[in-house]
Amino acid sequence: MNVNCQDRDRIFENGTAEQWAALAGHAQQCRACAEETSAWNLLSVAAQEMRDYADDPALWQRIEQRLGEETERKRQRAERWGWLSSWTNVSLGWRTAAAGVLLAALTFATGWILFHGTGEIPADNRARLLKSGALAEVEKTEAAYTQAIDKLALESKVQLDNPANPLLASYREKLLVLDSAISNLREQARLNPSNAHIRRQLLAMYREKQNTLEEVLEEKR
Amino acid sequence: MGTLGLALPWEARILCRQRERETRVEPTEHLAGGQKMASSDLIREDAQLAAACLAGDMSGYERLYAQHGARMKNVARNLLSSTTDAEDAVQETFLKVQRGIASFRGQSSFVTWTYRILINTCHDARRSRMRKKEDTGQESPDSPRPEQRAPAAHPSLRMALERALAALTRHQRDVFLLYEVEGFRHSEIAGMLEITETASKNTLFQAKKNLRGMLEPPRSSAAEAR
Repeated sequence: MNVNCQDRDRIFENGTAEQWAALAGHAQQCRACAEETSAWNLLSVAAQEMRDYADDPALWQRIEQRLGEETERKRQRAERWGWLSSWTNVSLGWRTAAAGVLLAALTFATGWILFHGTGEIPADNRARLLKSGALAEVEKTEAAYTQAIDKLALESKVQLDNPANPLLASYREKLLVLDSAISNLREQARLNPSNAHIRRQLLAMYREKQNTLEEVLEEKR
Repeated sequence: MGTLGLALPWEARILCRQRERETRVEPTEHLAGGQKMASSDLIREDAQLAAACLAGDMSGYERLYAQHGARMKNVARNLLSSTTDAEDAVQETFLKVQRGIASFRGQSSFVTWTYRILINTCHDARRSRMRKKEDTGQESPDSPRPEQRAPAAHPSLRMALERALAALTRHQRDVFLLYEVEGFRHSEIAGMLEITETASKNTLFQAKKNLRGMLEPPRSSAAEAR
């Protein structure tokens, strides 16, 4: 095979063993090709200098440990979801049936919510709970009632302690019942302060006691 | 193209050997005691390695490391210019192999697939290092750092080559390192870099041409030497 200087790069890029041998033969007569071929091959020799295949058992130990940790993590994940694997043992027919039932139930539930639910809390339920602003207002009113009642009770104390007639005696009985109810409602309000129903009942009792005491004082006059 | 500060009087420094064409070193050959394995043996060994790793058998990974660990580390070190980063990249590669072995379809050999993961891991590490250095405003990551390595017969030649390699394109550097340093065939490199064999050959040619230009002694000094 005859080669010349023009073939050199082509052989460098993709030459066969035969073409390389021919180029070596040509290089014996051509100084430029000899230099180029020598330098080209020298690059391969120089590349060998970049080889360092020293054993590194420490690196394997590191890798082995990390692989072990990864395997353990995988095992734990598999255990956590292991119950799902039993599902694959169920026949396709049963799986399809179960999926159908689940779908029907979901459809029914969604439809029921759409037709019957407004998505809002009922007005009654909202009224059953007092917000912090309203609660402060109620407590203020209760305090005003208590203050007024204490004042009236002080003024009517003499008549009530020694009732002069059956009417005053019955007022006294009524006030005892009201006190018991107030005490009971106060206890409930302490446990459930935002319950509007209890607070309303308590205010009604205070109002009733205030009215009763005012009637006692009217009777005195 | 200019030189990189070290003009090599080629023939004076090294006894030039004619490289024997078509006598590539097999990936497992020199690491397995230099015994040349038949192609069918290589394929069987590769399949066995893949099967062992797929089964989660630690001895499979140990065998993979015994056969390729040193070479993988060398590839990574030459791509990353750092032994520590290279070790991290090799470790990360093994973890990626473990996580991804179920998706290995055998379109290339298992070993080729592993090296492809390694090379991609190295490129990712290089990119992230570059970003980190950009953030902190440090020197360019492409400039090779002096590092303690195995004693070489021609340390200055290696240094010059390392510096010249840093000036090549990423593809040229990859192909040169895999072919000339690691001794892989073009067919294997094609699988690793997901390019054609022809592209691998052409890239190697361009890489060597560029290196030759960079390492060539200036014409004037060469003439004076004569």
